[in-house]
Amino acid sequence: MFDLTLEQVDQDGALLDAVEGAFGRSRAEFLSKALVTGGVLLGVLALPRRARSQEDDMSILNFDLAFEYLQATFYTEAEQLGTVDAMTAEQALWARTLGSHERAHVKIIKSVLGKAAVKRPAFNFGGATETPESFTKTAVAMEDLTVSLLIGQANRIKSLDLVAALFTLITTEARHATWARRIEGFTPIGKAFDDPMTFAQVDKVIASTNFIDSKLKTVAEGDPRFTG
Amino acid sequence: MRGTVLVIVLLAIGSVAGAAVAFDFDKPPLRPASRSGALLPEPVEPAFTPGRPRPLANRGFLFHWASVRQRVSARTIPTEDAPTVGYLQTMTPEGTTNVVSVLKRDTASDGDLWVKVRLAALPNGTTGWVPRDALGGYGTVRTQLIVDLDGMTARLLRNGRTIFKADVGVGTSAYPTPTGTFYIRNKLRRYSSPFYGPLAFGTSARSEVLTDWPAGGFVGIHGTNQPELIPGPISHGCIRLSNADILELGRLMPVGTSVTIK
Repeated sequence: MFDLTLEQVDQDGALLDAVEGAFGRSRAEFLSKALVTGGVLLGVLALPRRARSQEDDMSILNFDLAFEYLQATFYTEAEQLGTVDAMTAEQALWARTLGSHERAHVKIIKSVLGKAAVKRPAFNFGGATETPESFTKTAVAMEDLTVSLLIGQANRIKSLDLVAALFTLITTEARHATWARRIEGFTPIGKAFDDPMTFAQVDKVIASTNFIDSKLKTVAEGDPRFTG
Repeated sequence: MRGTVLVIVLLAIGSVAGAAVAFDFDKPPLRPASRSGALLPEPVEPAFTPGRPRPLANRGFLFHWASVRQRVSARTIPTEDAPTVGYLQTMTPEGTTNVVSVLKRDTASDGDLWVKVRLAALPNGTTGWVPRDALGGYGTVRTQLIVDLDGMTARLLRNGRTIFKADVGVGTSAYPTPTGTFYIRNKLRRYSSPFYGPLAFGTSARSEVLTDWPAGGFVGIHGTNQPELIPGPISHGCIRLSNADILELGRLMPVGTSVTIK
């Protein structure tokens, strides 16, 4: 079994810093030592066992969709909470541009999947969207992760026209990653080549952030006891 | 020398002929890539292309809410030393996840994030600060319910525009419906009591008179088995709608919706 630690995927410590800001130092220390456990995004997919083992094109696309939901919600929330308004003009342009791109990605993948599209999970960014510092740091880690996810699956898709479409996303996400790194003051290109990552590896990283929230129960069936 | 040239010419002709025979006409057509004559396949048409990116819609009618993830004290100012104004539970008396309306956020001097929330507590209108990590993820709604007690009507707005309007029953003078700004906490359905009609919303508003009512005297918005009494001052503080209207409201009004009673 491949054991993945947060440090292996968080080259610049961006994600760890963001998690530290969001959850406190003890949380970050725990994460830096612990093996990262997974199952969150794959759990969201809730695919039948057979479909998941086949890892067909649609299940790959659905995982992409779950990840695009995560990204789109992340940027949208930062904008809606006013965090982006508190950034410099250059940073705000970057954040708004990436947010609009990620929402466009969600829209098109959802339309391609139609009824097979997974539903948007609940997210809890735990403060990572609420200050410009934690937001930009998390964005760097998230964009790098997206590139690794996409290149990790490009050669597993059978349909050639879907591969072609995926490459239009890969190049865009790679530019997002470069722009995010520049905004944060990191080296724009981390390494000579990007490492591909499997679903399980990406899933473990997402699990380490606690960004996937548990489902809320807002509807009940007991007799009301309101004043009437 | 002449023989060598002949062999080369024959080999060249043979290889061109062989290439022509081996050419697969099912493959994408080739096109010249440069003046040198090299041939490359046409690019594959992508299965999809994302549409034009769009900026976010305006935030003018956006309301935030959050779930309560751990029992926590709400304080007057964003610091652990400040006086407590109330406590937040993780669940409501109805067994749903407790949610609070989010009003404001602040970063304390030690860097911790705090959130100002509206409490479902007496006196109505109580607000307090809780640490960010006591709450779950943020939810957003663009809906606002406005209840006019004098006119005995309810209007639901989405993005500031009325999308629903109905006559309502409101509290009597002895058991008045409280006024102020509240929010929708939960939705109840498939219960057995016909008194509440087919659907009931729980709000953060509480009766200021029926303080010993079971489960805390929360004000609901619900249907009825006495539709002939609507509109009118008929309730113990709840807002009653006809069953058709409450079902329509159930389709349009999400949990977290802001409620203004005036």
